Amino acid sequence: MSPSNASYTLRYFDAIGLAESSRILLTVAGVEWTEEHPEWPQEKPNQPHGRMPVLVEKSTDGSPDFVICESTNIERYLARTYGFLPADLKQAALQEQIRDLMSDVGNLITGYVHCKNEEDKAEFQTKFEGLLETLIKVQTKLLKDNGNTGRMFGDKLSYADIIAYGFYMNLLVSLIKFKADIVDDVKPKLTPEIVKLISTVETDPLVEKHKSRGGSLVAVVSA
Amino acid sequence: MLSGSDTVYVLRYFDVIGRAEGCRLLLTAANASWTEEHPEWPAEKANQPFERLPVLVERSNGNEWILCESLTIERYLARVFGFMPTDLKQAALQEQMADQQADLLSAFFGQLTATGDMKSKQIDEFNTLFDRMVKEHGRILSRSSSKQHLFGDQLSYADISLYAFYKLFIVYLKCYQSDIAEIVKSKLTPEIINLILSIEKEPQLAPHFSKCDTMAAIFTAKDF
Repeated sequence: MSPSNASYTLRYFDAIGLAESSRILLTVAGVEWTEEHPEWPQEKPNQPHGRMPVLVEKSTDGSPDFVICESTNIERYLARTYGFLPADLKQAALQEQIRDLMSDVGNLITGYVHCKNEEDKAEFQTKFEGLLETLIKVQTKLLKDNGNTGRMFGDKLSYADIIAYGFYMNLLVSLIKFKADIVDDVKPKLTPEIVKLISTVETDPLVEKHKSRGGSLVAVVSA
Repeated sequence: MLSGSDTVYVLRYFDVIGRAEGCRLLLTAANASWTEEHPEWPAEKANQPFERLPVLVERSNGNEWILCESLTIERYLARVFGFMPTDLKQAALQEQMADQQADLLSAFFGQLTATGDMKSKQIDEFNTLFDRMVKEHGRILSRSSSKQHLFGDQLSYADISLYAFYKLFIVYLKCYQSDIAEIVKSKLTPEIINLILSIEKEPQLAPHFSKCDTMAAIFTAKDF
């Protein structure tokens, strides 16, 4: 565990995108953190991989700050450090695989957005909807098997729950700019169990302190 | 090592390099008891937890445990077999390399499938990302004490992941785009080529090359 006086800077765009889950993890970890929105693309060369998000863990002993990048890596690092991912390797891996599946769905949406002709777009649309349905099926089964408490694993807020919330927030609130009908693609597929997961995360006392620029995801899925 | 000696693994995938080479290399380097299955596809799709491959099956004491998603499988195996540092910061520095490599694979398919005015933008993006990544590999290597490894002086997850990545681009992806191997080779520095060939010579990986070729023959004297 990092010392409790650790403090962080999260560098990203002023948007939900791929950083929302990291914002929530920083909030629920109870650590001091701020956000920076670097001038872009001017600040590109100053980031480790030329991209964002980037997490800076500020040094307390004069040594260089610890800097990492890649959104899923930042999420895992924070989750492991602050106990939201279990120490047990199998238990952690079962949560991580859900996150990777969500990333795959995100990549298909990117594929769709980058296609210009209708035939290619239709192919990506089919793949995206198919994989989203698989994701929802997997998450719904976990939620049901866990007693339909609105949590995928155990009885406390977990990494998997937080990432799912950030994922659906990105899909339903942020990606509209790139795919105008995405809410019509996604909302009808959401099961009551997923809606309960979203609500359970949003109303968790640890999460309530996080004021998302996306507003209430519960309001979006309940409308 | 956190795996019992009676634990056996089955890796389910297609009979190609694809997204499973890192898993194969880790199981080999670990000297684990493992076999590979090539399920009938798409007949076996519905029998996989995420309807996709690869899948890792771990069998121990009569129990069976299943894991999906290539990168999760890699990180799990790397931790079980001691190729991932236990220090969370050191592990994150290795994991981000694998994530960057995954971004490159996405960018490759992005430029392959993009059409219209998006195509040249995606090609530029792919090249920019790739060049940036090679620079990053070089930077890490220059700070490593042993030029045969990225971190420390032993084979690590980062080494295995890097090897699998370059093998994917130089040996496999030509089935999607015929010139990609030459494009990638032209971006590599002598130091990176030396690293690739050093990893390949690791005794722990020797059994892997009884089933496939090394990359040594692909790089000629003028690449160094």
